[in-house]
Amino acid sequence: MGNRPEDPGARQSATPGDHTPGELARGYAFLAPLSAFVAVFVIVPVIGTFADSLMRDVTFLPKRFLGLANYRALLSDPGFWQAMRFTCLFTLVSVPLELFLGLAFALLLARPSPARGLLRACVLVPWALPAAVSGRVFQLVYNYHYGLANYLAGIFGLSDHPVNWLGTPIGAFASLVTADAWKTTPFVAIILLAGLSGIPEDLYLQAQIDRAGFARRFTRVTLPLLSPVIVVALLFRTIDALRVFDLVFVLTGGGPGGSTTSLSLYGYQYFLGGDFGYGSAVSVALFLVAFGLSVLYVRIGRFARELA
Amino acid sequence: MKVRIALLALLALLAAWLPIATLGGGRAEGKTITFAVGGASAEFDFWERLVRDFTAETGIGVELLRQPTDTGLRRQGLVVALKSRKSDPDVFLMDVAWLAQFAASRWLAPLDPHFAAGGCGDRKAFFPRIMELADTYEGNLVALPVYVDGGVLYYRSDLLKKYGIGGPPRTLEELLRYAKRVQQGERREKPGFFAFVWQGAQYEGLVCDFLEFAGKDGGFTVREGSVSVDTPANRKALGFMRDLIHRYGVSPPNTYTGMKEEEVRLFFQSGNALFERNWPYAWPLHEAQGSPVRGVTAIAPVPSFAPGSGVSTLGGWHAGISRYSDAKPESVRFLCFLGSYAAQKRLAVGLGWSPGRMDVYDDPEVLARLPHFRKLRTVFVNARPRPILPYYTQLSGILQKHLNAALSGNVPPGKALAAAQKEMQAVVTRYQGK
Amino acid sequence: MRDEAQVRLLYRAGALGIAIFSLGPILYMALTAASARPDFLSPGAGFTVTAAHFVSVLRTPSLHFPEYLRNSLIVSGLSAAFCVGIASPAAYAITRLPLPGRISFLLCILAVSMFPPVSMVSYLFQVMGKLGWINTYPALVLPYIAWILPLSLWILTSYFAQVPADLDRAALIDGCSRLAILRKVVFPVAAPGIFSTALLAFIFAFNEFLFALMLTTDHAARTVPVGIALFEGLHGEIPWGVVMAASVLTTVPVVLLTLVFQRRIIQGLTRGAVKG
Repeated sequence: MGNRPEDPGARQSATPGDHTPGELARGYAFLAPLSAFVAVFVIVPVIGTFADSLMRDVTFLPKRFLGLANYRALLSDPGFWQAMRFTCLFTLVSVPLELFLGLAFALLLARPSPARGLLRACVLVPWALPAAVSGRVFQLVYNYHYGLANYLAGIFGLSDHPVNWLGTPIGAFASLVTADAWKTTPFVAIILLAGLSGIPEDLYLQAQIDRAGFARRFTRVTLPLLSPVIVVALLFRTIDALRVFDLVFVLTGGGPGGSTTSLSLYGYQYFLGGDFGYGSAVSVALFLVAFGLSVLYVRIGRFARELA
Repeated sequence: MKVRIALLALLALLAAWLPIATLGGGRAEGKTITFAVGGASAEFDFWERLVRDFTAETGIGVELLRQPTDTGLRRQGLVVALKSRKSDPDVFLMDVAWLAQFAASRWLAPLDPHFAAGGCGDRKAFFPRIMELADTYEGNLVALPVYVDGGVLYYRSDLLKKYGIGGPPRTLEELLRYAKRVQQGERREKPGFFAFVWQGAQYEGLVCDFLEFAGKDGGFTVREGSVSVDTPANRKALGFMRDLIHRYGVSPPNTYTGMKEEEVRLFFQSGNALFERNWPYAWPLHEAQGSPVRGVTAIAPVPSFAPGSGVSTLGGWHAGISRYSDAKPESVRFLCFLGSYAAQKRLAVGLGWSPGRMDVYDDPEVLARLPHFRKLRTVFVNARPRPILPYYTQLSGILQKHLNAALSGNVPPGKALAAAQKEMQAVVTRYQGK
Repeated sequence: MRDEAQVRLLYRAGALGIAIFSLGPILYMALTAASARPDFLSPGAGFTVTAAHFVSVLRTPSLHFPEYLRNSLIVSGLSAAFCVGIASPAAYAITRLPLPGRISFLLCILAVSMFPPVSMVSYLFQVMGKLGWINTYPALVLPYIAWILPLSLWILTSYFAQVPADLDRAALIDGCSRLAILRKVVFPVAAPGIFSTALLAFIFAFNEFLFALMLTTDHAARTVPVGIALFEGLHGEIPWGVVMAASVLTTVPVVLLTLVFQRRIIQGLTRGAVKG
């Protein structure tokens, strides 16, 4: 997280004398069901997957312990690196795009207006849809013969013949980024909107008195105070982009020719091929990347706060 | 205190209700089986009619599980069910490309006992090579070919006549010569004319086409843990395929980006091609009312470089019984029904698909409706399956990638095949060993 | 001032642009679902309205769409209910009792929500398979609960922190147990927050894809997103009218939900992301 979370109990805790030792024990008991669920259905499976990645777990071969052999194979697997490249590229392109768009949306949504509630609801609908549904809609939008995208391209004269969006690596990549931006920009916008509303009005008034233009107001007041929220949004979006599966599965199926296969999809494909050990190794690799990045973000976030 | 007990009781009740609530969806034991099939409308309607008659005849209910049309998604649905040992679906169709994976994973119930007892009829009625190579695992019969496929060469008999060509090409050199001659002539009126269309996009079909171009002298094998795909014959074939697009220009430039079965069929059907490599399914569509190529299309075996060295790649879908089925006797009866003469004939006449039973190809009614079946029978008898390996799809994925790279002109064929062989070898080595 | 009018025009244009961007594809979806042919944008094709696709989706038994909807509603409802039920006491404990390590606990739980589903699904699949739970409700509900709990905990913690502790103290003096306080004091006051949490949990469970894809095999437990994704084929000949009709049927309740509860949803999301 960008800022050290405010201790939620700080405001409410009374003097120590209010709590007996028995109470504290009961407090832990309140945490127990949640901890148990998370431990059993999240932590154990992750550990189990890691353990599986050390085995030769193939449906048509006897099970055997392999140690790190799967990982060694992974490192020299061009398909894995292709998936890694795509996943990282997808993240690097879509996250800043969504941040930029989300900020624009948030600035627009922050302005008081009678239609604000309706506008917010409009913006929220893409986010609330299942990714599978939005994937299929965009599959139709980018259809070569009669999709909306080629229709618009024809109308605006962007190209003289239909574009094969989903049939070329670049086209498929662009389609994925667009579909993802459509679906998740609302989320970024909402978060940034909350951050915007947290900026005290007097700072803007001060800036207006100082005759600061919009650009100066934005860079001197808005952005710095918004940065913790931006870091949060970046973190969430980056992790989500790295683990993208639904959209890729439905919109491109990983094609054409494996050029849009995300790491999640690549691991899943191995499960289907009966090789659960190798697929687990791919999943663990993705896990490590996501985990590493979140740690990095937290560090950067803390560092930025210290600077400010 | 009371509240806490009440809450806990409620939670316990809810927890207990969950598994009970899921028992809905279970069906009466033993008397109904589930049959997983593809979901295209025409196909699905056919199966519905067929199983209705089966139920009327035997009293065994058959519930159809409608799967997506895509072969990868069909495999996925079955892998999830079989790996978790579900009793449904009991009977299912498998692509011959991943049949070996299912057999080697021991998910298919052995069928020998039922044929031995004569309950299922004569197993010699089916194409023997196919049965021996694709349907047998470790000596046991585990599947039945419901319908088979093999690549064929469609050609425009009218165009050949127009340019004074006697008959279909017997070698690839002849094919190229004819293609150039006809294309030169036809281009005057039809600027979009391309003489030869085939599947070159990066998918399984590309491997099928490549193996046919390579013919009997080429192909790829995995023997004793060693992959062989970088051979002179294969290099020659791949080079020829690339040249068709880039050097001679007789195949369209989007061959390697977008040409799959339907794209190829539609291109030929529009009248803008001389030769088409496709599966037999295209024939009834070419001959349908309103088709521009109706009445002028003919079929020939796929040629290769040397005369007589052409060989079709075997395709098709086979039926198997789940090892975890809870209704084995009924499933066996249904499987035998699927392989019966009557059902297989209905498949041919009703859907135009090529049955797995050889004797149906001699039926006068079938031949009257589908005269090209005579030629097809020879094609299927000699069709060559892709390597029967449980991890074939992994190998194919690698090969597709490199073949396509060579077709795009970016990588020389020799380099592409060498790289493919190296990567494929890594996979084979990983899956070797006990 | 002219500037002011210009700015207002810019904002109006921007707002319109946002609305078109957000709703455009959905409109296209609805038009395709109601059109006799999917290529109605092609020159000379024309647009003919028909309800045939909707009828097809709802009435064709082999498509099982009503079953998918039923499954989705049950699974999402159960997951949301259990999530709130399990996260509430935990949020209460964190905000009321000075439990040592509670901040770290919160951070750990948040970290857990960052795990990619693919790194859990194969193990879950194998375990569920052994238990015979594949294609049943528990196979989905239990992992969903665990996966949505972190978010629920964070949002509820944020809401509960705003409920003044004096109310608690009064009840404590009266001899109420902590659970009773949670039920009688905190719940009523934080009810809107609890509702927001349940709503978000429902939406997340409804839209989940990978677990549903691997842990179900047919309409007994399969959910709507997977059903729509696998409708009669993903690539090749796709019956667009039917697919879009199913999508519209899924979208309509979502749109209604969003329109009515937009403020709740937004509140919940921002609480989860921005503390305090």
